[in-house]
Amino acid sequence: MFKSIVHSRGSGIALALLILLALLPLIVPRFFVYIFALIYVTSLLAMSLNLVVGHGGMFQFHHGVFYGVGAYAMALVVTKTSWPLWIGFVAGPLVAATVGLLIGWFCVRLTRLYFAMLQISLGSLIWAVVFRWYKFTGGDDGIHGIHMPPFLASLNHSYYFILVVLAISLVLMYLILKSPFGATLQAIRDNPQRCEAVGIHVRRHQLYAIVIATFFAGIAGVLFVVLERSVFPEMLFWVMSLEILIMCLLGGWFTFAGPMLGAAITVGLRTFVGRYTEYWTLILGIILILLIFFLPDGVMGFLLKTFRSQAKEGSERSPL
Amino acid sequence: MLRVEGVVKSFDDFTAVDGAYLTVERGETVAVIGPNGAGKTTLFNLITGHLKQDSGKILFKGEAIGGLPPYHICRKGIARSFQIVNIFPRLTVFENVQVAVHCQQRRSSTLFRPAHTIAVKETRDILESVGLSGQTRNVAGSLSHGDQKVLEIAIALGNEPELLILDEPTAGMSPEETWTTIELVKRLALMRGLTILFCEHDMEIVFSIAQSIMVMHQGRTLVQGTPEEIRNNSFVREAYLGGA
Amino acid sequence: MGGVTYGPAELISQLLVGLSRSMILFIVCAGLSFVLGVLRVPNVAHGSLYMIGAFVTFTISKWIGGWVGFWLALVLAPLVVALISLIAERALFCHLYQREHLLLLLFTFALSLILGDLVKIVWGAEYRSVSAPDVLKGSISMFGSSFPRYNLFLLVMGPLVAILLWLFVNKTKIGRISRAAAVDREMVGVLGINVSWVFAIAFVIGCFLAGLGGALVAPTVGITLGMDHTLIIEAFLIVTIGGLGNMWGALLGSLIFGVTQAFGVLMWPQFAIVFPYLAVVIVLLLRPTGLVKSVW
Repeated sequence: MFKSIVHSRGSGIALALLILLALLPLIVPRFFVYIFALIYVTSLLAMSLNLVVGHGGMFQFHHGVFYGVGAYAMALVVTKTSWPLWIGFVAGPLVAATVGLLIGWFCVRLTRLYFAMLQISLGSLIWAVVFRWYKFTGGDDGIHGIHMPPFLASLNHSYYFILVVLAISLVLMYLILKSPFGATLQAIRDNPQRCEAVGIHVRRHQLYAIVIATFFAGIAGVLFVVLERSVFPEMLFWVMSLEILIMCLLGGWFTFAGPMLGAAITVGLRTFVGRYTEYWTLILGIILILLIFFLPDGVMGFLLKTFRSQAKEGSERSPL
Repeated sequence: MLRVEGVVKSFDDFTAVDGAYLTVERGETVAVIGPNGAGKTTLFNLITGHLKQDSGKILFKGEAIGGLPPYHICRKGIARSFQIVNIFPRLTVFENVQVAVHCQQRRSSTLFRPAHTIAVKETRDILESVGLSGQTRNVAGSLSHGDQKVLEIAIALGNEPELLILDEPTAGMSPEETWTTIELVKRLALMRGLTILFCEHDMEIVFSIAQSIMVMHQGRTLVQGTPEEIRNNSFVREAYLGGA
Repeated sequence: MGGVTYGPAELISQLLVGLSRSMILFIVCAGLSFVLGVLRVPNVAHGSLYMIGAFVTFTISKWIGGWVGFWLALVLAPLVVALISLIAERALFCHLYQREHLLLLLFTFALSLILGDLVKIVWGAEYRSVSAPDVLKGSISMFGSSFPRYNLFLLVMGPLVAILLWLFVNKTKIGRISRAAAVDREMVGVLGINVSWVFAIAFVIGCFLAGLGGALVAPTVGITLGMDHTLIIEAFLIVTIGGLGNMWGALLGSLIFGVTQAFGVLMWPQFAIVFPYLAVVIVLLLRPTGLVKSVW
């Protein structure tokens, strides 16, 4: 099972990158450690969305709900109950996946636009409840000062924890995409009718994919709590969901690592631009428009295409 | 093996199929012919579960299959290729067929083993038997039209069907491609003991390989018989062959 | 929930509040539905255009003042919004019509981000308010309780817009072409009509209505940033439960939304906004394609 990863070309690069990132807290100032950790969390979220959007072809337009639900589940377990902390860590993805299963079950019966609309409406309902239930969820303030276990007390420790969880999650996602499950999912994306004719139970398969994706979104939510010690209702708002979608587009939604790149660029730019102007949203809008017109495959997609075509030219020019 | 009795299907006020009867014996190659709009594709859609009949019976190996969803019918042993090319354009030729084989082996949901190690031999065999071995790594969307139609058939074979339904398998092909494909179909039927049901507009093809021909006209079955019987049938002549 | 009992007077009064809010929602959603029907794209920027309509109304009534200012704003603000949408459409949007729908939707999202920040740049982040002209201020006594005159004005405007829109779509040449394009754009193209211009007109009219909704809502709420975000989600939901592309569906959806919200305020003020969302979820679970048959 791991042979396929070890043998793949990208694994050498990935390993080198991992080592570099592990050394980061020793090299850069504290603020950058925080930003990178935030990028990791956002990357995981974007990757989880891309499982169903880029690779699955589904219109998952309110993915932020599962992120928020996972984060709130953990926050509520830690702040409202006296259960051991590890239950909070586990509750996040489990609750997110359960909500994903429920919402997904209703949504997969519908085609594309209606799938999206039903998900947006169910998600907005959850947002509205969280937003207003001041006593339980903190309403529009959110929940703050969430207590973390001692081994996560410092920023550096949190950074490593998040990095490790991200790495493991990415390996899992890679395996899933390269497995027959992943191949079938991509086939469903390209031609659901043909899949039915080939014997695949399309709806059930899509539902499985949604549950997996929302599970990882829940993990991302838990990691957010580890980093920020807070949760906010904005995590469940539709604007967040569209932002994650943009990250996937920006990075390239038909590639594996594209969404991570998109997340990194978005968070990085937002932080950087945020120092000079408060009009980050304007810049994001302009970037998005440029993307739509000039780079519809996303940055990663564009890079891969140029890389591949150059490689092809090279081999054509060689004598034989 | 397959029996269609008195099937009717209408859409709003248009009756596409108005009493279709078809018998396909095991190991036979049966053709359905009829002018455009006669209801052939609708009939095929009814058999493979893409549509549900209003009335009438569809029996496969004695079991009623009318109204079952397509993936269920596929699992019972019926596979189908489509008239308009219906492949997975972004996947490679190899992956296209592999999807079907995975499903046949009930491995579609296997999560943690790499796809390219599962069902490799079966997929290669199928691709070889249809003559696409040289193109396994090519993206399916880049194939020529003729090759895509052959890929269609290959995907259907991935399901190890007992009954293979081909909807106009040579539509849009050049004459050489057409004859290659027909030879292929003949060979497959022999090698794998397949029962084949197809529909075609090219009469030469139909009469060269079909053992039984069913003629449809305006949604109704006119008659079913051997090529000789059909050739000499006056109704058929009048309705179809004479004017063709 | 509180043990307050409500008499018929309060109920009717609240019903009217709900209905007048429905009228504004209807005007905005009719525009959104129209664009959705003809262009097949949900216009995320619709909320931002609504917000611009409200802010422009504020500026115009402040500059000119008095009742003249208000009525002038009511006419000019939607026109300004229509102009903005025309520029966006001709400069950028129209080049995307051949692309996938998802990209069109993301374009409208990008547009909403840009317009949202432009509002911040031009008007700043404070609350603004607009007062209604004297003739529409105050309330009238009816059925034992008082109804704000402005709400009654809205109850007149809503049906007026509905009638005008219906006349446009059914009785004018452009309107009928738009409706045909909604159902079968290729056919319209084959008939030699420039489909791109049909789209432009439909888009501009839809956005005009968004601006009109914003102008009309201005005297009734605090005009702030973030108006666009709350409105667009409500508008999307309404258009979906109504039936995509269908004006009567938008009316029905708006009525359901506005009235359930009004009664939500009566029954459980803290969770008032949950009521309309819940109603939407119920409708969608029962009739996922909307209450009225969609245009396509």
